[in-house]
Amino acid sequence: MNKNLLSFLFHILLGSPAVMAADTACFAEANARFKAGDFAVAATAYETLLANGGPRASVFYNLGNSYHRLGQYGPAILAYERARLLTPRDPDLLANLALARKAAAAFEETVVHPRLDALICYPSRNEWSWLVAGAALFVGGLALVCGLVNLPRRGMRQAALASAGLASLAIAAGSACLYLRRDESNRGIVLSENAAVHLSPFETAASLGTPGPGRIVHMRKESGGFHYVEVPGTTLRGWLPDKEVGAITPSKDGK
Amino acid sequence: MVIGIQSRILAAWLAILVGWAAWCPAAEVEARLDRDTVTAGNGALLTVRISGGRAGQPEIPAVENLIIDLRGQNPQVQTFNGRTTVSVTYQYAVGSNIPGDYQIPAINFTVDGQQLSTQPLKLKVLDAAAAKPPPGIPPNPAASQPAGDEPADSGDKRFGFLTVELAASARKHAYVGEIAPVRIQAWFPIDSRAQLRSGVQPEGKAFTLHHVSDAPQQTQEIRDGNRYLVVTWYGGISATKAGKYPASLSVQAVVAVRDTSAANPRMRTGSPFDDMFVPTIQKEVTLKSDDQQIEVRALPTQGRPAGFTGAVGEFKIDDWEIPNKWTTGEPQQIQALISGSGNFALMDAPELAPAEAWKTYPGKDDFTPGDVASFAGSKRFQFSAVPRKGGAQEAALAFSFFDPAAGDYKTLTSPTKNIQVAGETIADDPATDNPATGGPVKKDSSLVAEHHELSPAGPLIPLVSRPAFSAMLVFSGVLWVAGIILAWFRIRRENPQRRALAAMEKATREALHRAGQCAAAGDVPGFFAAARLAIQQRLGALWNQPPQAITLAEVNARIPHDSPVARFFDEADRHTYSSQSSGEILPQWKTLLDESLASLTTSVR
Repeated sequence: MNKNLLSFLFHILLGSPAVMAADTACFAEANARFKAGDFAVAATAYETLLANGGPRASVFYNLGNSYHRLGQYGPAILAYERARLLTPRDPDLLANLALARKAAAAFEETVVHPRLDALICYPSRNEWSWLVAGAALFVGGLALVCGLVNLPRRGMRQAALASAGLASLAIAAGSACLYLRRDESNRGIVLSENAAVHLSPFETAASLGTPGPGRIVHMRKESGGFHYVEVPGTTLRGWLPDKEVGAITPSKDGK
Repeated sequence: MVIGIQSRILAAWLAILVGWAAWCPAAEVEARLDRDTVTAGNGALLTVRISGGRAGQPEIPAVENLIIDLRGQNPQVQTFNGRTTVSVTYQYAVGSNIPGDYQIPAINFTVDGQQLSTQPLKLKVLDAAAAKPPPGIPPNPAASQPAGDEPADSGDKRFGFLTVELAASARKHAYVGEIAPVRIQAWFPIDSRAQLRSGVQPEGKAFTLHHVSDAPQQTQEIRDGNRYLVVTWYGGISATKAGKYPASLSVQAVVAVRDTSAANPRMRTGSPFDDMFVPTIQKEVTLKSDDQQIEVRALPTQGRPAGFTGAVGEFKIDDWEIPNKWTTGEPQQIQALISGSGNFALMDAPELAPAEAWKTYPGKDDFTPGDVASFAGSKRFQFSAVPRKGGAQEAALAFSFFDPAAGDYKTLTSPTKNIQVAGETIADDPATDNPATGGPVKKDSSLVAEHHELSPAGPLIPLVSRPAFSAMLVFSGVLWVAGIILAWFRIRRENPQRRALAAMEKATREALHRAGQCAAAGDVPGFFAAARLAIQQRLGALWNQPPQAITLAEVNARIPHDSPVARFFDEADRHTYSSQSSGEILPQWKTLLDESLASLTTSVR
């Protein structure tokens, strides 16, 4: 993660054209492998590019396409879901994600209600957070300005009051949406078809069931190479090996 | 003589002691089991009786896997032929869930200082399935006729059982992608107490359970002539791969049932109070439904319509809307409402027919559940389409699904609608933007092509999960608090009263400074004029009126005449209007001025 952050800062702040050119070349090469039908090699190239160049929506999207072509719907859905964190409204991405879900017979859970979901999931959690933080900073800055100077005109005072009200509404709405989507931070995707949920965190423990590839699970505590998972919409819950499940949002330590 | 009397008294004491010993009954302890064989999960009644003395509660040695549970104690006092017997009887339920031969060791007592012990007892616990009534003992009512409430072959089912019913009970197979609605029922004896410890879970690997109702229904039902408390869930079971798999469900519960086997049959009188004193056995049980081999079949490839997208169930087109007038290359919206029961999650929008005349784009859909388990319901689709051919045409909506009951694909077609399309026929796909989503996504079963432009890197972890978010909120809070504090200072600074007070203080200081200069120059009228102005400033602030408007007459009217202010005002008027331009400024005038100002300073502030 630190490496990714440094790379990100390096690209954004310093704008190294050489590194950008190298990444672009790698991306083009991976795309060429994909076009040639060599999906496994393309997937490896995309993974390398992500490891070296940081998370990019287009790379995740193409990586998802590669896994989809290989018939590995679990990793494909995981890659699409990660791309969705960066570009939540990309129609190509949404179309391919729906195809992958259908192919894997993986159902997508709803947060509250389908209609309300469409509204609160339209922006990503990152965008909601920026809205809340931006509105909070705006209200704070406005309070500071109004504390320093007396706004001379009545119109200015009314405008300041109205904008502070709108910003407060944005904070309330954003906070509510972030609260409703709080479980998304621990979502994971089941990677393989035979991934079995165990009764306890041991390989030899009894199997409770197989959620199926691409299925969204809620990842809870971790113990000895296993994650305790809950399959939403079902009563299936238990321990899944770490190698069989991928977190959509990586933890702060990069896992 | 004395010795003779002492001997007689001693002999009498001995005679009394011997007689009392002969009259009092000896202390006894007894332990017995009402049977020596029970089935696993059932109990025998252990009775421990202590008579002829006082002792504490028996301490029964622990025996591995043997449950010994105190059910009550009963003190008794009996008088027979003038002899009184005191006894205490303790009753225990003894049993085990593990078959085997058990021995209850001797129980030791100290009765009135006397060490007593019972005989060891043996108890044989039989496997519940293989239990047969031992010879000479009537069949265990709890095993063969478990409290009259359970089926004869129930075994552990005396604690309850689980049933699962498929909605289509006639069908013994399911299809991949199909969600088969099931009714799950946990049956508990009506006189039991049950507490669920888990939700319903599938036992096998091949099936998953969906949409299990959160709030199960509780009813009382009669089955095989017995009354049960029934907890009912509704849900759906589905399989993701073809094959033949055992399917069963389970639920964990703690159930307490009356242990009719522990009651002494001889004590049953047929009274309704009999059961009040029957002990209960509490057990943590896993209720499991019977294994059912369910064959999961793959959806047939033969006869699969081109427009089939994975919907499995039974559906119908309820409503649809296609605009009358079109222009080639220009998208318009189409609506359709499909209702029925099945896997709505895998259902796609219907297709426009004829397919070659249209290009359609993915739109949005909205599912409205029709029941608690979301099997039945309706889904409204809105999507955009672009006509590719000009002229008068016929258009209709077609929707294909697999009907698991019929085992075949079905295609529903809406009534044909005559439409008019203006414009030239488009040979190739127009590069129109998708009006619904803003992107050129083609509705196709194949993947949308890869992206060729490398997008900028961004963080996967949202801002809300990063420390920067908290820092920003804290910073905005600091800004807000700082703004409030600054506003408070600003408003305080801009207060007109405070500003007037400050101006008065400044004018007073200037007048006093001028009075001092006049005094140094020996200018008596100037001194009194400046000093009077200073007092007027103070009075003006005090009386809230212009200082110049305050005259000697007003001062005399509002302030006592002998006050320093009135006296100084009077002196100042006299010197101002007496035309004396020279003279000596006496020290008492300065003193009077200081006293006047001091008397006003307190009032003003």
